[in-house]
Amino acid sequence: MKTTLKLTIAMFKIFVRNKQALIFTLVSPLLIMVIFGMIGFDKPQKFSIGIASINPQPQTIQFIEQLKQFPSFEITLGTKDENLAKLKNGDFVAVLDIPSDFFNITDTQSEPKTITVYSNASQAAQAQTVVSVLNQYLSRATMILISAPTLFTLQQESIDSKNLKYIDFLLPGLVAMSVMQMSVFSVAFLFAQYKEKGVLKRLLATPMKAYQFVAANSITRLLVSVIQAFIFIGVGVLMLHVHVEGSMFLVLLCVILGALMFLGLGFTISGIAKTVESVPAIANLTVFPMMFLGGTFFPISSMPDWLQKFAQFLPLTFFSTPLRAIMTESAGFSKIKGDLLGMLIWSAILITLATITFRFQEREG
Amino acid sequence: MASSCVDFFVILAHHIKISKMTGLAEIIKYIEKTREIGLSDKSIAQELSHVGWPKALVDQAMNQSQNKDFGIQPIISVKNLTKRYGDFIAVDSISFDVYPGEIFGILGPNGAGKTTTMKIMEGIRKPTSGTIILDGKDVLRETDAVKSMIGVQLQASTFFEGLTLCELLDTFASLYDKTVDAMELLREVQLDEKAKSQVKELSGGQKQRFSIAVGLVNNPKVLFLDEPTTGLDPQARRNLWDLATQIRKRGTTIIITTHYMDEAETLCDRIAIMDHAKIVALDTTDKLLDLIEVKEELVLKRATLEDVFLKLTGHQLRD
Repeated sequence: MKTTLKLTIAMFKIFVRNKQALIFTLVSPLLIMVIFGMIGFDKPQKFSIGIASINPQPQTIQFIEQLKQFPSFEITLGTKDENLAKLKNGDFVAVLDIPSDFFNITDTQSEPKTITVYSNASQAAQAQTVVSVLNQYLSRATMILISAPTLFTLQQESIDSKNLKYIDFLLPGLVAMSVMQMSVFSVAFLFAQYKEKGVLKRLLATPMKAYQFVAANSITRLLVSVIQAFIFIGVGVLMLHVHVEGSMFLVLLCVILGALMFLGLGFTISGIAKTVESVPAIANLTVFPMMFLGGTFFPISSMPDWLQKFAQFLPLTFFSTPLRAIMTESAGFSKIKGDLLGMLIWSAILITLATITFRFQEREG
Repeated sequence: MASSCVDFFVILAHHIKISKMTGLAEIIKYIEKTREIGLSDKSIAQELSHVGWPKALVDQAMNQSQNKDFGIQPIISVKNLTKRYGDFIAVDSISFDVYPGEIFGILGPNGAGKTTTMKIMEGIRKPTSGTIILDGKDVLRETDAVKSMIGVQLQASTFFEGLTLCELLDTFASLYDKTVDAMELLREVQLDEKAKSQVKELSGGQKQRFSIAVGLVNNPKVLFLDEPTTGLDPQARRNLWDLATQIRKRGTTIIITTHYMDEAETLCDRIAIMDHAKIVALDTTDKLLDLIEVKEELVLKRATLEDVFLKLTGHQLRD
């Protein structure tokens, strides 16, 4: 026990003094987080609209002014030809052609006056949004002009008062991803190196037991993963104003289970790898697909069905999903127990694989 | 007055001479010679202790000088040791004993089976057959007990990167469930100035000395040195020989493999010469040297170990 403790302290020192490992575990994920936080994918999309109107009436000018009030519209005035040219280039989502007598409304008018909306087929979806907003606006105007009472109205109230942003979605995923990378890479590389350079052989000449060394290294990395997770959450909350809710104890539980699972993978890889050089190839083969399919950067629900069927069973998915549920929806234990079970099963599989493949020294011929 | 002054210097010179003796074999020879002059065993022992030889070693030398058959218990006893890798026989049924306090050399060309023999004795490898008893313990059955009382320096051992020499010694001591005065140990191998350095900053000779220091953290009864001077410059080699002699003076038995003749000749009390997985000769260095005589310019000159080796194996040391 004392031996394991002393070894753990030594292994922790080694980890902290390894600059490469520190950059890998802390600096680069933090950079990703800050950059993604600053890009702000949540800003409402701006629709550029060109408006052509010859000899505008005062009402037309007023109408245009009102359109300019829409936060998501960016209105530019110009001649029809100019605007259409820009539309072709993709600078505009839509071009409106307002006839000069548009607001000459008479009681005897039988046909509705028409605004022509030109749109570019390559931006059909955005154009559709513009059209529906305009439609709504014009029917309101009609109602007011014919003095019809407003019978129905929609009151929009956001139940989700937290107003979740992309960074709120990203943070739990990033925590899971970096714990995965740290656990897999630091163990796989280091142990392949220790094996190749004869460090493990030297240790075998002492009364130390192999499990003591494996335990010391695993405890070190479990500790690092917890520190890592809470640094990310801290930076996210303090600098990027991420909303974090839910039980920190459950977060801790998830992080430890996740790290355990990926330590199993790390040891398995260092067991399979014949040389240090083959470690990155094998590690990337397993880690890289998970980075994109394990719910780190975008939700699994946005993937095609067949891919979802595969992605939902990835170890990282079982890790990022409950983390996100806890941190964004303050999910309790009962809601995440399925994912916890998934992590436990994966841990059992990977640790078993590790004990089969990982040896302190090569088998004798 | 004048004669007593001369006596003083004669005695002083004599004391310096016997304190400079390199090992057990020389001490035994000295005891035998002095005994012939008529000095009592007690006064010889007193004299040897007086110049700094440890009591254990003196006692042992006394013992061995009286009893040519090494009547005392061997600290290591290897019997019919064999190691096969498939069809290849690395070690072919070798047997030998090592006595406490001696520097025992295993000399042989690369691939003769020296390192394999060492590894099996260290409990790192399992033999195909044979037994090894180390200080009363069966290396194969009580491997952990054996590991905790031996010190090991492997041919190519590296240590963790990121720890200083001091921290490494402390960490290794904890593997034996012991604590160690790391600075004292570093001083002993003349690396105290490098206490805060990492292994990668050391020169080749320093690395080997550090490797030996790591082998000493548990104050071992037996220290195994596997080709400790291979690849070192002459200065560093001599440095390491001094260190080995110094460690033996503490009473530690040393087993050393080498393929340098001069190293075995200066350092070892007894030598086992291995070739093609077998021991082809085993005796004290002196006796081995007496095996053959070399005629050179019509003057009889004592053979070097190189000559002995050539005669026994019929070939030069392969490299």
